[in-house]
Amino acid sequence: MSYVLAKSQNDDIHNAGECGGAVTSILKYLLDEEIVDGVLALSPQNDVYDATPTFITESDDLLKTAGSYHCAPTMIGDIVQKYLFDKKVAVTVKPCDMRAVEELITRHKINKDNIYLIGLNCGGTVSPVSGRKMIDLFYEADPDDVVSEEIDKGKFIIELADGSEEAVKIHDLEEEGYGRRNNCQRCDVKIPRKANIACGNWGAEDGWTFIEINDEKGQELIDGAKKAGLIETKNPAQGAIDGREKVEGIMIKMAKKVQDASYPLVSEMDEWSRCISCYACRDVCPICWCFENCELNKPYFKDETTVPPTPIAFQGVRLSHMSFSCVDCGQCDDVCPMDIPVSLIFDKLQKKYYNRTGYVAGVSDDIKPPLYSPEKTEL
Amino acid sequence: MLEIKHTLCPSCSVGCGLNVIINNGEIVGTFPYKRHPVNAGKNCLNGRNSIDCYQNKFEKAFVSKSEVDVEKAIEEVSKELNSADSSDVTLICSGSNDIEEIKAIKEFGESKNYNIAFYADNLKDFADVASYDEVAGADKVFVIGDLLYENPLIGRRIVHAKQNGAKIYALGKTENSVTFNIADETSNSSVQEFLDNNKGNIDDSSVIVFNYVDSQDDLDKIEALNCKCLPVFSKSNSKGTLGIMEAKSSDEMIELLENTKVLLVFNDDIAAELDFDFARISKIISFAPCSNKTTEISDIVVPIKTWLEKDGSFVNAMGETQMFAAAVESDVLSEIEIIEKLNG
Repeated sequence: MSYVLAKSQNDDIHNAGECGGAVTSILKYLLDEEIVDGVLALSPQNDVYDATPTFITESDDLLKTAGSYHCAPTMIGDIVQKYLFDKKVAVTVKPCDMRAVEELITRHKINKDNIYLIGLNCGGTVSPVSGRKMIDLFYEADPDDVVSEEIDKGKFIIELADGSEEAVKIHDLEEEGYGRRNNCQRCDVKIPRKANIACGNWGAEDGWTFIEINDEKGQELIDGAKKAGLIETKNPAQGAIDGREKVEGIMIKMAKKVQDASYPLVSEMDEWSRCISCYACRDVCPICWCFENCELNKPYFKDETTVPPTPIAFQGVRLSHMSFSCVDCGQCDDVCPMDIPVSLIFDKLQKKYYNRTGYVAGVSDDIKPPLYSPEKTEL
Repeated sequence: MLEIKHTLCPSCSVGCGLNVIINNGEIVGTFPYKRHPVNAGKNCLNGRNSIDCYQNKFEKAFVSKSEVDVEKAIEEVSKELNSADSSDVTLICSGSNDIEEIKAIKEFGESKNYNIAFYADNLKDFADVASYDEVAGADKVFVIGDLLYENPLIGRRIVHAKQNGAKIYALGKTENSVTFNIADETSNSSVQEFLDNNKGNIDDSSVIVFNYVDSQDDLDKIEALNCKCLPVFSKSNSKGTLGIMEAKSSDEMIELLENTKVLLVFNDDIAAELDFDFARISKIISFAPCSNKTTEISDIVVPIKTWLEKDGSFVNAMGETQMFAAAVESDVLSEIEIIEKLNG
C-alpha cells in the first residue's frame, strides 16, 4: 500500500472534478487505452440529487460523471453481476459497493480479472428526497438552487448556483432524524481498501486527490495514467497522511457510537407487522444473488394467509442465507415500501459473526463465503 | 449498451417513479428511482413486475386467434365498424391510457357517434382530493380497503400518519387486511355501516382514503362528509381520464354492454373487472400491449405500444400531472396512430 496525490492534466476535467479530477482522468486513461470496454459511474440525470449509474464507453462522455454525489445512495453490485459479467469494466465504488463486489467475486458472480475498482472514500450518503427536505428545513437555500454538496469536517455543505456555500453540522441534522442514512451512520468502513485505488479529499491539498494505492493493479493505473499525460502526481506530506488518518478515525469513532446504541428486540418492534411480502428487500440485496431459485419462492412460503409473514419465517430464511455477508449498504431499508429497518438486523448479525470470527463482509480476506465456513454452523 | 432511465409505474394511480434498466435496447430490469418525490425509490411487487408487460408484449396481431399482420387486423377492425350501426358500437377507454390517448379515443368515438364508456373501479372523481402529505399529516385517517397491501406507497403515508400520532380506522373485506396491523380500530362491515358508525369521529382534521366502495351511495356519502378524501384507483391515469370524461358505475357498464354488438377495448382488461357474459357481444376488439383476460376472449387483437415505448402523461390519485418519456424505441403503433388509420 502506498499514497500519492494526483490531479488531472486536463483543464475541463480538473475544473469539473470534485478534487482535481484525478478519478475522471484515470477512467479516461482506461477507456482511451482500451483497457476496459466501459466505465460504470454515477451521473446526474435531472439534478444533483438524481445521480444514477451510467455506463460510459466514450471518454468524451466521462465529464458528466465528474463530481461527487452524496444524495445518490445507489448500489452497483447487482448491475455488474447481472449485466456486465462478460465485459471488462471500471467501476467507481463506495465502500459498500466495493464490499458487495468482493462478496460477489467470492461467489464467482463477478470475474475479478474483468473489473477495475476505483474506490471513493465515503463519509455516508443522504437519501435524495429526505435530503431535499433537510435542506428546505435547516438551510436558508432552496433545494433546487443547490449545484453540489459535500460532507467535510463533520458538516453537510451545499454549494449554490451563485457560488455561495452553507454548512450545517451532521450531528445536528442527525439528531433531528435527517442527515446520513441510518446504515451510513453505523458504517465503519470509510475507505474502500479492497478497491485497486481509494480516492478522496481527506488529507489532500485543494485541487488534488489523495489516492491510496492498494495493489499492483492500482499502481499500474496510476503509472499508466501518468505516462499517458492525463494526471500529475506528487507524494503527500506526512501531515497530509496523518490528517487523512485522523478524519477516518473520527468517522469510525462516530460509527462505533451508533453501533453501540441499543436496539429493541425484533419481537418488540412494530415495524415488522407492516411487512407486505413484496420481497423488495430480497430483490435489491446485492448479496442475495440466487434469486431464480430462492427458497422464499417455494409454494410453502406462498400462503397468502401469512401476510404479514412472521419475521422468523421470511427474514429468517434470508438471515440464515446471507446475513454473514451483509455489507450494510442499506438498500433493503431504502426500497422497503413500509419503511421497515431491515438492514438493522442483518448488520447486527454480521457484527455478531464478526465478533466470533473476525470476518467483515467484503473486507476480510477469506477463501470461502462465510455461508460455507464451519464458523457459521457453530454460531 | 447499458442504460438506466426514469419512467412512471403504471400499476395503480399512486404515480410512483420507476427506473428501468435497458441493455442493448431491451428493457431487462428495474432499478430504484430514489429521487422521485412520490415513492423515494420504493416500489411494490406490482410496480417492479410492471415491465413483464413489455417483456411479454404481442409480436403480432390476431384475428380469430390466428396471427396476422397489424395492417390486416386494422383492416378487419375497419370492416367491422363500417358494417355496424354506430349505436351498437361501444368504445371502452381505460385509466391505463395516457391523457393524449384518452382525448383521441373520445374524439374518435364522438365523431362516429359510438357509445363511449370508462370504468374507474366503481369510483368517481372528487374535485378536491387530499394530497399524500395531507394523508400523512391528518389527525385521523379512515381507510377503506387494504391500502397497505394493495397501494403500499399510499399505505406508507398512512404509516407516517400513525407515526405522527394519528388514529387509524380501517375497514377491510377480510380479517387478514395488513392495514389492520397498524389500525387502532378495525371493521369488516359494509362501507355504509363503517361511515355511519364513524360519523361522530370524522371531522375536518380527518382524511378518508379508499380504493373500493360497495355502491354509488357510498361515494355520495363520502362526498357529503366534512373532510378531505383520497380515492385510489387501480390504474395509473384513472384520475386523468376522469378529468376528460365521467366514469360509469358497474351497473351502468353492464347495461351498456348488454346493448353492445361491437366492443372496442382500448388498453383495458374489462373482462377481468366486470361480472358480465361477454359471449353475448358479437365482436370484441382489443387494442392491448400484452395478453389479458379481455384479449383472450377477443375476436381481433391489435398490439399497441406499452407505456415504456411512448411519451405521455398520467394524472396521479392526488391530481398531479406526471410526464414520462419513452424508455426504448419501438415500431409498434400507438393507439393514436391506430385511430388515425381507422379514421382513414
